[in-house]
Amino acid sequence: MIETFANNFSATRRLAVNLMFVVFLLTLSSCNRHNGSEGEAGKGKRGGAMDSTLVIAMLGDADYLNPVLGSTVTSGNIIGLIYPSLLQSEFDTTTGLLNYMALEKKLREATPGQGSKNPKGALAKSWYMSKDQKSITYILRKDAFWNDGKPVVSGDFKFSYQLYGNPVIASARQQYLAELIGADKGKVDFNKAIETPDDTTLVFRFYKPVPEHLALYHTSLTPLPAHQWKKVKPEEFRHSPLNLEPLGAGPYKLKNWQQQQEIVLASSRTSNLPKPGTIPLITFRVVPDYTVRLAQLQTGAVDVVENIKPEDFTALLKANNQIEVKTVGLRVYDYVGWSNIDQNEYHKTGKIRPHPLFGSARVRLALTQAIDREAIIDGYLKQYGVICNTDISPSLKWAYNDRIMPHAFDPSKASALLRAEGWLPGPDGILQKQGRKFSFVLYTNAGNARRNYASVIIQQNLRSIGIDCKLDVQESNVFFESLQERKLDAWMAGWSIGLEIDPLDVWGSDLNKSRFNFTGYQNPRINELCELAKLKMDPTGASAYWLEYQEIIHQDQPITFLYWIKETQGFSKRIEGEELNISGAFYNIDDWRLRPSANVAL
Amino acid sequence: MLIYILKRLLLAVPLIFGVLTLTFFIIRLAPGDPAAFFIQPGISPNVAEQIRAQYGLNDPVPVQYVKWLGNILQGDFGRSFSRAQQPVFDVIAEALPITITIAGLTLVANFTFGILIGIISAVRQNSLLDRFLTVTALFFYSMPEFWFALMMIILFALKFPLFPASGLNEIGAEGFGPMGFVLDRLWHLVLPVTVLSINGAAGIARYVRGSMLEVIRQDYIRTARAKGLPEKVVIFKHALRNALLPVITLMGSSLPFIFSGALFIEVIFAFPGMGRVTVEAIFARDYPLIIANTFISGSLIVLGNLFADVLYAVADPRIKL
Repeated sequence: MIETFANNFSATRRLAVNLMFVVFLLTLSSCNRHNGSEGEAGKGKRGGAMDSTLVIAMLGDADYLNPVLGSTVTSGNIIGLIYPSLLQSEFDTTTGLLNYMALEKKLREATPGQGSKNPKGALAKSWYMSKDQKSITYILRKDAFWNDGKPVVSGDFKFSYQLYGNPVIASARQQYLAELIGADKGKVDFNKAIETPDDTTLVFRFYKPVPEHLALYHTSLTPLPAHQWKKVKPEEFRHSPLNLEPLGAGPYKLKNWQQQQEIVLASSRTSNLPKPGTIPLITFRVVPDYTVRLAQLQTGAVDVVENIKPEDFTALLKANNQIEVKTVGLRVYDYVGWSNIDQNEYHKTGKIRPHPLFGSARVRLALTQAIDREAIIDGYLKQYGVICNTDISPSLKWAYNDRIMPHAFDPSKASALLRAEGWLPGPDGILQKQGRKFSFVLYTNAGNARRNYASVIIQQNLRSIGIDCKLDVQESNVFFESLQERKLDAWMAGWSIGLEIDPLDVWGSDLNKSRFNFTGYQNPRINELCELAKLKMDPTGASAYWLEYQEIIHQDQPITFLYWIKETQGFSKRIEGEELNISGAFYNIDDWRLRPSANVAL
Repeated sequence: MLIYILKRLLLAVPLIFGVLTLTFFIIRLAPGDPAAFFIQPGISPNVAEQIRAQYGLNDPVPVQYVKWLGNILQGDFGRSFSRAQQPVFDVIAEALPITITIAGLTLVANFTFGILIGIISAVRQNSLLDRFLTVTALFFYSMPEFWFALMMIILFALKFPLFPASGLNEIGAEGFGPMGFVLDRLWHLVLPVTVLSINGAAGIARYVRGSMLEVIRQDYIRTARAKGLPEKVVIFKHALRNALLPVITLMGSSLPFIFSGALFIEVIFAFPGMGRVTVEAIFARDYPLIIANTFISGSLIVLGNLFADVLYAVADPRIKL
């Protein structure tokens, strides 16, 4: 029958039509590649292109390659390579402090053995704070140029800060301007707050004394070239075509951006901030599926994959010995949140009453003791997890309180605490108090394997001391909205911490102002400590406050801190010279090198 | 027939409009906030408010509806919230060619193989070949696409690295020359199109087999054979044309698929097609993009059905429109 069919004339004709259709479709899809010029990498064979190209897999596309607007991590990584920065910053792993460097000045001397960052990338030659700590003056270098040859001048900064502060543009970084003159009255007065007496002098003025490290941090926003952007109206800023052709001055420039597919950066030959990138081309490829990202790393189609799950390490390294897994941390932790206050009452009357289940610190302590955090770490994160006591990371060594002992897993102690609080077993084995059962729903967001794993262990742990914990998963958007509206009794989530300690948003007693205090926790001493720490002009002077802060949080257990997570990144061994740092996996990417493919045995 | 088509098209206008209005209200009633991304520690609380003001979300919903209505009537579907404020149809125009390529190739393969296998199964009913084809078809038909796709990747990209695991082109494909570029694209499309078409062809084969079996038992087929016509002519000229009638419905209903994309395949093989645009828009609460997608898929479903009905009339003279 098949032969008969193949001989059939109409079938042949149909086949020909189909083939033509196929060719048409391929042309159609190829038309979509715009800007696909013949480039330096186009050597006509795969090995050639791969030798000069570093490929990094990313989950999703960058939103904007414009420092005023870009708000995703991917955007941040790429913007950092394209645009120049006023200062270079470096995280000192010995002290846990951020250091800032200009060409000829450093905030503090680096610990010996630390500090590889090249200060030549900085636009500032030097800076000085005024005696009253209310202004900072930068001296800029004269030999910095945008890619079009125009010099980078102080006016670019003033222009860019006005964009950052413009409510019509709605930059996610306007918080950085919160100490400039006028910000206390609701609107920054740019004429007074930022002065540019000449092209190489840049002065920022604050309405209050600001510690030097914060002044440096808050004046470190990336500039845009004023001459390119000045004609763009604020209301058109977000959809200006200029967003697709960023003009920078850093070690790389944008070569090609195929949205939702890939971003290709080429080493900028003329850059002296600090120098042209060592690898000729860097391609960021969108690969949304995790399994496929792993497969790509394994076959060598991509060189870097972030956030590899610990369960996949063994198989990955076994399949390809040219891959290594590197870790960095600790910045991310998971926790179980307990509503400290009765939210229903709070929403109805605005009054603060303890939550019927989790209102007492002793009950929350019992819950922490009942949860086997070690078991979760052993079962899932293994050596990539560390028990978490409070939200100050062990990596921030200058502030971390290492005398605090974690609450050990001890179900019998937990039961005793609950009994003392009046929770006694009912006829069905579930604890009861004044007719109310100890029963609740633990919510978490969909699609997080680690949290799913942990939540099942937590459920079993709690069941064994007579607490009925039901699990529910919500779509991320819905989950986040429920948290913000303080609708949930108990949930599991995580935080990624900043490198400057500022926990008032999460624990501040003013529940209207502290938007991320989802638990409703209130302790006036915590507010005091945070305010006192902010007043110290040298961060290390505040360490006594942070030590006390951690003791209080450890005692009050507003939430059950579960574990810190070491972020794990998969690297191809053909990359050389990479240094991972808590401030990012691509921290010194402009210094990375690629070994030629002849040496790479796949 | 022209009047019939015109009538159907006119009826489609209020229908699609109703769908859009429903979508407009449903997405705004659903929990979630398009500005949610900007609510994080370290970002000023004003930002989310400013973003909402930019999107016009601070007005009461009826006011938003009236404004939206005014814009839609002028053909302006607005700008996407989540994709750098591109006009929504630009976003769609970027994703559509990729989706059409994959879906077009898939449909060709689907119907070619589906019809072929269906005919063989029907003509050789209950033979070993038929049993084999039926079992194989059912096996693939019941396999979840995403799982099948991952298995194909493990098999053909990892164990036997014959095809790439994802993406539309190799790194540096721009340097391959036009022919090399198209071949490279084709090489990247083999796995996804195979996954999609094996699944689809299996379904179509079942349809064709069923309707073919019914047709071959008809009197006119016996007459044709009795006339002494060769078996080839009986099957292809007399039986197939009639057996293909239900397949025409399938073809009509495949039209929306061409444009709406195959989400799992797009995610797994990292193709920026319509499926991903739609789902990402929903997760990001990108209202204008969701509505534009609804408009496109709604119109295509209506058109697809109309197309199928017209094809019916063309294929079967007994049906009068």
